[in-house]
Amino acid sequence: MNGFLYGVVLQWKLDIRSKSLLVTCYIIPLIFFLLMGGIFTSVMPEMRSTLIQSMVVMNVSMGAFIGLPSSLVETYGTDVKKVYKANGVPLYLGFVTMFLSAFVHLMISSAIILLLAHILFEAALPVQFPVFFLALDIYIIASLGIGSILGLIVKSQAKLAVIAQLVFLPSVMLSGIMFPASLLPSFLETIGRVFPASWGYKLILNNGFCFANLWYLVFVFCVAIIICLVLLNRQKFK
Amino acid sequence: MSDAIQVSELKKSYGSHIILKGLNFQIEKREIFALCGVNGAGKTTALECIEGLRKYDSGTVTVNGKVGIQLQSSSLPAYIRPIEAVKLFAKWNRTKFDYAMLNSLGIKEFEKKQYIQLSTGQKRRLHLALALIGNPDIIFLDEPAAGLDAEGRISLHEQIRKLKSHGKTIVLASHDMAEVESLCDRIAILDNGRIVFCGTVSELAGKVGGKYFIHIKTQQGDKTFETDNIEDTLISLLNELKQKKIHVLDIKVDSGTLEQHFIEMARRKTE
Repeated sequence: MNGFLYGVVLQWKLDIRSKSLLVTCYIIPLIFFLLMGGIFTSVMPEMRSTLIQSMVVMNVSMGAFIGLPSSLVETYGTDVKKVYKANGVPLYLGFVTMFLSAFVHLMISSAIILLLAHILFEAALPVQFPVFFLALDIYIIASLGIGSILGLIVKSQAKLAVIAQLVFLPSVMLSGIMFPASLLPSFLETIGRVFPASWGYKLILNNGFCFANLWYLVFVFCVAIIICLVLLNRQKFK
Repeated sequence: MSDAIQVSELKKSYGSHIILKGLNFQIEKREIFALCGVNGAGKTTALECIEGLRKYDSGTVTVNGKVGIQLQSSSLPAYIRPIEAVKLFAKWNRTKFDYAMLNSLGIKEFEKKQYIQLSTGQKRRLHLALALIGNPDIIFLDEPAAGLDAEGRISLHEQIRKLKSHGKTIVLASHDMAEVESLCDRIAILDNGRIVFCGTVSELAGKVGGKYFIHIKTQQGDKTFETDNIEDTLISLLNELKQKKIHVLDIKVDSGTLEQHFIEMARRKTE
């Protein structure tokens, strides 16, 4: 196994050992899902048709904006980065392996939500599974792009805890997953459209996979990757 | 070419704060060379510029050989196991890790613990092992004994001597002159961004030999006096204190460290 593959597998193991990822990718999203799933489907039974999509968007937002940046700060905000540089490990390794590992964890937790929502709350399953998962992949990648910027820019866990909430809360509250975005005042609806969650939610809805809902997520991902490359390059010599 | 490293007019500043004011020195192959100086003298900055980890403003640095680096402040992901770190770094360096080396550093004893569970000494040993993984020709050690107990220091010093006997060049930064005196072939003393001495330990000892420090503790506080004649200085100091009716609580006489003497000399020269 070469260095890169070993790094990916190792990161996957480290993420499983890390309690913070367990909390942000599994425990809190699943508890939130069980609570909100129960409330939504009993108060508004029509929510069953979009419960899976809403809860998946919430899960991805939490893992990407709170979970991934915390892991990145542990490497890029500390001396771990210097040890990597000093010992010939390329700086991008941590970024790429954490991104891939978070992607897999978010896919797993989203799949758990999909199954449980159907079993526990009789939520409607996506009409086309391949399209649903393709849309979900794109949304997760775009969200992880934003999370990566946070993790590479912010240097301390304390600051990150505050800044991550500035991205996570509007993503959940203004994206339309809790209540229709059209009910929001127009300026809040506009603000909500800045965050990938509102686009991701529309994209993974049944019949939502179209260019109009897709282009913004692709754009966000491309911009995020360029910013991350610049940030990594700046870290080479400090 | 017998030089492992050549440094010429190396300058580095952070904003308006000048850290290195033009360093010049060479390090020969297969020698143990130390950069010494008090905290803030610029040792770590100089080392990191030479290692290629930090950009410098001007000057030239030539390094002839493969490099291994143990940093002063090092860390690894909290949940990584030593054996996993060793394997990861070995794979990136495309080299097989040497079990004998891991055994000699005692890594095997704690290879399955997580990094967060290791003691300071175990972490130091692990970072030294990581620096040695690529079988480097030149090994940089920044304050290698920091945080180690007496046993750990002895074992580390043995390891460093063994590395030298295997033909490695060792460059270390330290403010521990006892360590430097016992280990190094040559030293450079940094003071305020300049090299104030570069040569062998015996050359330094010859320059500053015969100097002593008298530390006197009184009710009014502690004072230290430098002298080359303990007897006369001590008598005159005690007489002076007696005349002033100052009660002496404790007296200590020592020969000071080479570094203390030399920096004192350098400061006197610049004054």
